[in-house]
Amino acid sequence: MSKLLCSFLGCVAFASLAFAQAPQPGATVSGGGGGDYRSSTGEAMGDRLFDVNSDSVDMENGSMQWKGKTFNLGNSRAMRMRFERYLASPAAGGDMTKYIATLTQIEKILGPNVVNQNNVYASQQAAFDLLFVAAEHEVDGNNCLTIATQVKKIWSMRAEFRDLNINKNQLEALRKTQEGVVVNRAERMEEANDSKANSPTTANGGKTGLTKTSQGQTELGYRVKDEQRTQAEILAKNAEMLALGLKAQVEFQSQMVGFLLARRYRHCLISSAFYRVLFKGGNQNIRVGAKEVKEFFPVSDFVPTLESVDTLAREAMNDVTTGMRTVDDLYKQGELYGAFERLQETYFLGEFEPAVMMYDQGKKREMLDLWRDLRELQRLGDERDLANVEGYVNKVRGRARDFPGAAILSRVNNAINASNMAVLSAKQAALGGDTAKAEAALERATKIWPQNPSVKEFANQVVSRQDKLSQMVPEFDRMIAEARWREVFNKKLEFALALAQDKARSDKLREVINRVGELDANIQKASVLASQNNPYLAWDVIVEISKTESDDLVLAKTRSDIAPLVADYARLIGQAEKLEREGGEAAALTAWMAAQDLNPASPSCGAAVKRLAAMVAKSAVAKAATTTPIPAAGDEVPVPTGK
Amino acid sequence: MSKVNPLFFALGIPVLVIVVLMAIVIPRFAGGGKFTDLSPFSVDDYRKDWATLQGNAYRFDCQIEKQLAYEEGKGRVLAVKPTDISRGTGRVPLFVPLAAGETFEVGQRFKCKVRVVRDLLVVEDLERF
Repeated sequence: MSKLLCSFLGCVAFASLAFAQAPQPGATVSGGGGGDYRSSTGEAMGDRLFDVNSDSVDMENGSMQWKGKTFNLGNSRAMRMRFERYLASPAAGGDMTKYIATLTQIEKILGPNVVNQNNVYASQQAAFDLLFVAAEHEVDGNNCLTIATQVKKIWSMRAEFRDLNINKNQLEALRKTQEGVVVNRAERMEEANDSKANSPTTANGGKTGLTKTSQGQTELGYRVKDEQRTQAEILAKNAEMLALGLKAQVEFQSQMVGFLLARRYRHCLISSAFYRVLFKGGNQNIRVGAKEVKEFFPVSDFVPTLESVDTLAREAMNDVTTGMRTVDDLYKQGELYGAFERLQETYFLGEFEPAVMMYDQGKKREMLDLWRDLRELQRLGDERDLANVEGYVNKVRGRARDFPGAAILSRVNNAINASNMAVLSAKQAALGGDTAKAEAALERATKIWPQNPSVKEFANQVVSRQDKLSQMVPEFDRMIAEARWREVFNKKLEFALALAQDKARSDKLREVINRVGELDANIQKASVLASQNNPYLAWDVIVEISKTESDDLVLAKTRSDIAPLVADYARLIGQAEKLEREGGEAAALTAWMAAQDLNPASPSCGAAVKRLAAMVAKSAVAKAATTTPIPAAGDEVPVPTGK
Repeated sequence: MSKVNPLFFALGIPVLVIVVLMAIVIPRFAGGGKFTDLSPFSVDDYRKDWATLQGNAYRFDCQIEKQLAYEEGKGRVLAVKPTDISRGTGRVPLFVPLAAGETFEVGQRFKCKVRVVRDLLVVEDLERF
């Protein structure tokens, strides 16, 4: 099994490599066209061969990882659209079953257990006819016609081969005749030469008469030349036959590998079956890409064969079937995101497999909705629209409970925080007059989150800063002169930007901000005390801060809100203050003590009582002596003396 | 010699004891004791308009709440509250000259003769009860 898997991996890697090497960048993956499967750059894949990662689809690069190998699926946009079209399309119906049955029948007819010496041609013809039946189905995409054309071509080549063979035989016969003629002529010449040598000499010792010394030599030369020409023609015919045979093999194998790369596994198997019956046993080895295929198989004496390709195709088909089973199981368990991912991988591995094509439309429809949400989420991420990401993550989570949204949200929150920090840094730099640093920080914030509302707000402030600068300075001076602290405080950011370069006014602004900030803190404290059913202490706070900030409108409003709750307390304090101003320390002390009875925890009452008691103690004797002398012991009438 | 009826002793002695006790207790609760001839001090009147009470002397039964101040060689200012709340509640300051010579503890009750000296209640005499 491991050998099988390794061989499969090797071929897939080779296939992916071949596909990636396709000369046409826009070439489609379907239709059996394929790429340059004879690429010799297979070495580059060696280091990735056994790095078996999980299956995944990379929509950005338009590639798919399967058992650690990359399938280049072409243009990513086209890939996305194809997958979306698949999700939106209805499931293939009954025709698909018939179609698959036809393909299976073709495979059976050409099976090694069926084809023998007697029915080899009949089987070929029957399978050939069924190819046209299968091609009538829309899902076939006329790929069976391509196989039929290829088979027909091989048949034509075979006829051509036979003609060549006949010609070669005829030439051989001619050559033999010519050879006989040459031999005959040579013998005759030899005989003539021998008779001439044995003829009687004349009296004076010379030869009798004039005779030709090399009779027939010229003719012999021509005959030899004819024989050699015939020999050359025979050799040429041999070479032509060899080339024709090789061409037939290469073309058929190319088509077969093309089907494998196009993930038309069943067509690949049918091509392989046809090849097996069309070619002799000695031609069953893989010629196309054999070197690369061999390199990927971890067996030193491995010989790539048709069965290697068959194995790859069958393994892929099995993987697709298992993948679709997994998809359905995940769907049933409510893990829609996992089901979607597995479906995506399985689709790109075997989109023409019946299990994929016949998948239920309702389930696909749910995954299509999820797919659209995921794409929208991806678009938001690409555009760094962080504010809307959370909403979409929750939406996707609503569809698919197994969607890993927490990690996304965590990253989004980090990015939002980083952007806001950068804006803050820009603001601080701007306040400090460091324009370059402010610009850099703002650029950083924009890069992280282009639509950060803080960036926009800050940018607007910066743009309008110069315009406002001329107006802000006199306005600030006027407000300070009129002691409109609250208004200055409310426009502190604008003033801060406008007065950043003016140290004196900036210091003044800081002073006002601190003052109003402290006032607000006290107002807040009073409001909290009042809300906690402790209005007297709240009133103490109000009274205390009113001594310095009597003109503040917020304070006045808070005071008016609390006053009805402490009418008696306020009246007593007012009375005490009035009596003290008029010199009635003891009466004032009495009023403060009455107020303290209402609000025992009041620090101001405690302080006033302590202060006035000391004053009364000091001045009591003098008061008693000078103002109202103690009457005589006998005067016990409770009527004023009249002095 | 007539014999005294035992019933006379049985009823007479308890009645006598009760009469004696009532003679002791009632005056204390009825504001008796020293300064009974003075008008009772009204806290409400004092708070409302102390000026109309200036120079007058009153009897003021009060309980000490707190000593507010003490001036060496002069006296002390006490916060007291009236024991009779029919004429006003709440604390008032009371100046006790050093000459009064008493020791004051929180919770002690006194019958005081007070005089309204301008706006200040000055103790002229006092009795603990």
